[in-house]
Amino acid sequence: MNKELSYWVTLAHLPKIKTRVKNEIIVRLFEQQKTIIDFFNFTEEIWKNKFDLSDSDISIIKSGIDELPNNSFLVESLLEQGYKILPITSPDYSPVLKKNLGRSFAPPVLYTKGNLQILKEESIAIVGSRKANEKSLLFTDNIAKIASENYKVVVSGFAKGVDKQALDSALKYKGHSIIVLPQGITTFKSGFKKYYKQIIDGDVLVLSTFHPKAIWSVQLAMARNPIIYGLAKEIYVAESDYKGGTWSGVIDGLRKKRIIYVRKPELDEKNANLILIQKGAKPVDINGNLLKYETVNKKIDIRVSEPTQNYNEIESKIINLLKKGIYTSKSIVELLKIDWSTKKVTNYLKNHKDVVTINKKPLKFTHTSKQENKEQPKQQSFDF
Amino acid sequence: MNRFEAERELKRIFGFEKFYDEQWETIERLFAGERVLLIEKTGFGKSLCYQFPATQFEGVTVIFSPLIALMRDQVKALNDKGIIARYINSEQSKEENSQIIQEALQGQIKILYIAPERQENIEWIEAARKMNLSMVVIDEAHTISVWGHDFRPAFRRIINLVKLLPQNFPVLATTATATERVQKDIEQQISGNITTIRGSLIRENFELYVIKVGLEDEKLIWLAENLPQLEGTGIIYTGTRVNTEIYSRWFEFLGITTTEYNAGLDAESRKEIETGLMANKWKAVISTNALGMGIDKSDIRFIIHTQIPASPIHYYQEIGRAGRDGKPAKLILFYNNTKDKKGIEEDYKLPKAFIDGGRPSIKNYQQVINVLKQEPLGERQIMKATNLKQTQVRVIKADLIEQGIIKEVLYGRSKKYEYQFDAPELNTKSFEELRNQKLKELNSMIEYVNLTTSRMKFLCDYLGDNTPHSYLNCDNTNLPKYTISIKDEYLEKLKEFRETFFPVLKVESKNSNIINGIAASYYGVSSVGAAIHRSKYENGGDFPDFLLRLTLKAFRKHYGNEKFDCIIYVPPTESGDLVKNFAEKLSKVLKIPISHNLVKTSETKPQKVFQNSYLKKDNVSGKFDYQNPDEIAGKSVILFDDIFDSGATIKEVGNLLTKYGVKKIAPLVIARTVGGDI
Repeated sequence: MNKELSYWVTLAHLPKIKTRVKNEIIVRLFEQQKTIIDFFNFTEEIWKNKFDLSDSDISIIKSGIDELPNNSFLVESLLEQGYKILPITSPDYSPVLKKNLGRSFAPPVLYTKGNLQILKEESIAIVGSRKANEKSLLFTDNIAKIASENYKVVVSGFAKGVDKQALDSALKYKGHSIIVLPQGITTFKSGFKKYYKQIIDGDVLVLSTFHPKAIWSVQLAMARNPIIYGLAKEIYVAESDYKGGTWSGVIDGLRKKRIIYVRKPELDEKNANLILIQKGAKPVDINGNLLKYETVNKKIDIRVSEPTQNYNEIESKIINLLKKGIYTSKSIVELLKIDWSTKKVTNYLKNHKDVVTINKKPLKFTHTSKQENKEQPKQQSFDF
Repeated sequence: MNRFEAERELKRIFGFEKFYDEQWETIERLFAGERVLLIEKTGFGKSLCYQFPATQFEGVTVIFSPLIALMRDQVKALNDKGIIARYINSEQSKEENSQIIQEALQGQIKILYIAPERQENIEWIEAARKMNLSMVVIDEAHTISVWGHDFRPAFRRIINLVKLLPQNFPVLATTATATERVQKDIEQQISGNITTIRGSLIRENFELYVIKVGLEDEKLIWLAENLPQLEGTGIIYTGTRVNTEIYSRWFEFLGITTTEYNAGLDAESRKEIETGLMANKWKAVISTNALGMGIDKSDIRFIIHTQIPASPIHYYQEIGRAGRDGKPAKLILFYNNTKDKKGIEEDYKLPKAFIDGGRPSIKNYQQVINVLKQEPLGERQIMKATNLKQTQVRVIKADLIEQGIIKEVLYGRSKKYEYQFDAPELNTKSFEELRNQKLKELNSMIEYVNLTTSRMKFLCDYLGDNTPHSYLNCDNTNLPKYTISIKDEYLEKLKEFRETFFPVLKVESKNSNIINGIAASYYGVSSVGAAIHRSKYENGGDFPDFLLRLTLKAFRKHYGNEKFDCIIYVPPTESGDLVKNFAEKLSKVLKIPISHNLVKTSETKPQKVFQNSYLKKDNVSGKFDYQNPDEIAGKSVILFDDIFDSGATIKEVGNLLTKYGVKKIAPLVIARTVGGDI
């Protein structure tokens, strides 16, 4: 029994404190060889000086301390019911998730039920609309089959449509699967009953990052998407609408420079797959085979108007901006109102001879003339 | 707060002048957020060690206690002092418990007593997540150790909870009885920085006696003669429920006022008896070990055991409640040392049987594991799927949870058991180890019986109390031994009692016109069972006439001159016309017409096939009907059957006849089984 767990749960659900701040605390504890129990016993001075916490953070942490005994009751009840609580420092915590989401987004605690080994296996995610068409479901089935045959775990979100197909297909082909819940883990009763055999046979892991008692909500469903992406090494999109969970998930993924495969749609399909491909996702056919961008793009020409702005004009605008200071790709796109994706900006600048890349997340760029070499990337001893 | 300030508060709130040093040491440590294990004898004042700090803390102190009677007494005493205390347990209605939980949430309660089983209750867990908690207390902490004498699986969860509590959160565990092994186990389980404070266990006012007998009747006769002579009031512990009934009827027959108490009684009756005991309503309460621990009565003058307890710790614990006022108390233990053909002493058999029957077979464990591999099931569903007794299922469940093979999961408001993905193999080695330990302890109890030196010294040594004392006050030191002399007068009385004592069938319920009935005998206690068995299962022909005479006697004693309109008998499953023929004979003698109209609408299996009451109930549910119901509407009827086991059949027919408008249904059977021993 891990006596730190009540403390972990308390930290994970402290309200109004960013994940990044929580993870910074954990990293510093690691560096100072202190435990999370020590952290809650530190004085305000230490919180302020050694952890750089603000007054408002400190008052939130103080009220968290009052909740420690209560969270002990919660944790006892969870463990008793067979749920596992994985702090980010646990060897069982998903290494892929930690790497993909990093300090800013990796949840400090995961709640799971089932075979933890699944978190260590190669994984893909299949995502898509709740009202996916036949082709999308066939695509999902194909991808799940290939993944299962190659001993890759299929990660999905337990929504209707593509999610459900991904799970059921993975199990049909004797593969492993992770269900990422849009709710607290204790509120998933019907699912636990339905997948009971698969869970006890070790084929399914159920995972949630939310407070164990949280019920389903749209916000949680949206917040769950980055976790699905984070748990997977490859992401396959069967079908996306022009807005909604899949759409914003892919956009977010592309921004985080994830490689995302989108099924190339037929001409008569009404969905946003083509636009996502245009925005930088990689097109694949119904069996997941990678297609050349150009073959897809020809068809885009018919339907989507190309940007009219001169390519060279944009380039010189960017370089001129960088002569004035340090910018991230995102801020460049926003400031100059250009029609490039941030990824495209990044790739362009990384290879530009007159541009200096500052290797701090998020990446920043500046012109060689501005570089004063002030900021050295900090040495990190913690695996983020 | 220093000791001076604390004692000023003590005086103001509790009216006491000073703390004992050991009390203050405990309290001081709790104030400092430490964990303490306090081992002190009954009457030391252990409860003050948590009650006082609780009054000084801001939030609520939660006390896990397995003793419902103790909760009630202490809460009353605290409220009288103006300290707001409440308890939550199965004795109160759901609404009452919910109300108290609400009060605790609003911070209106200082001290909250709670049964350990409550840790499995979802409403409590939810509420505890939100309460302002100050301290957790584990009362009777020996029950958290499997090496203790009264291990309770529910405490496993309390321990898990304590391990998860913040490191500087005060935790107190108390017990009066812990051997060194149990002490170490508790220390290790509670973990953290725990300090153990141990006091002396000697009870100088105890007078310890052992009376060896050669016959069971000698126990009854000695008590008949001597119980009225003993000073004050007390408790007689019998080893089994059925013996509480027999001893109690025997004293009733002799005109000695006693009452029986066991876990089979409903909460209200238990409460009534506990209150009556406090008010010295009876000379003695005849009880299983369900009564006693935690009864806060200072002047219990004697405690008598008609059977030996399972170990010297059990014994010390059970006699511990006597003489708390410091005045002399007599502790008498009977032991029947007659040897059977195999050389085993008579009174060794019952505790040995408890050890042997304590665990179901490995096959039963496997059965439960197998059904849970298919789907999550609740307790009742497991019983139905495996045809195991409730007690067996409970033992198996607790063991499987303990070993991490299954988990108890909340499905909304109901609990289900789930097999675990990473479940280990069933470990039977620990069962064997425990069994050996229990046998060893039982042998120590026999050692106590046969002791020729100081009995109190033996008990203190056994419990790990090494403080030096002069040990007196037993029949091996300065007190005379009790001896048995059998007078013919009492032999006669006993014979008369045997012929007029009939077991009652408790079947009354709100929605049925059935009344409590009568049996001619217990199934296993006399020659009756054997006679029935011969007729039923060995082609022995009709039930013999001595059963008819006995049944008629029981009928007359219980129902007197009450008028009945007809005799209805339960149609048989496999024993042919035995019941019918017997009912016809009864009808002739009693001159009450017989009805053959109670019929089975579909086949049932013999009830004895089923091991638990759910399956027994299912087996007979809706399986009976009465042809021509108009003839019995508004009538009083006798309902006859040969054997009464779970009572499911009699109750089912009772419900049917009530539906058809029968005014009164009076059950009559030849034999009642004892704990399903058929």
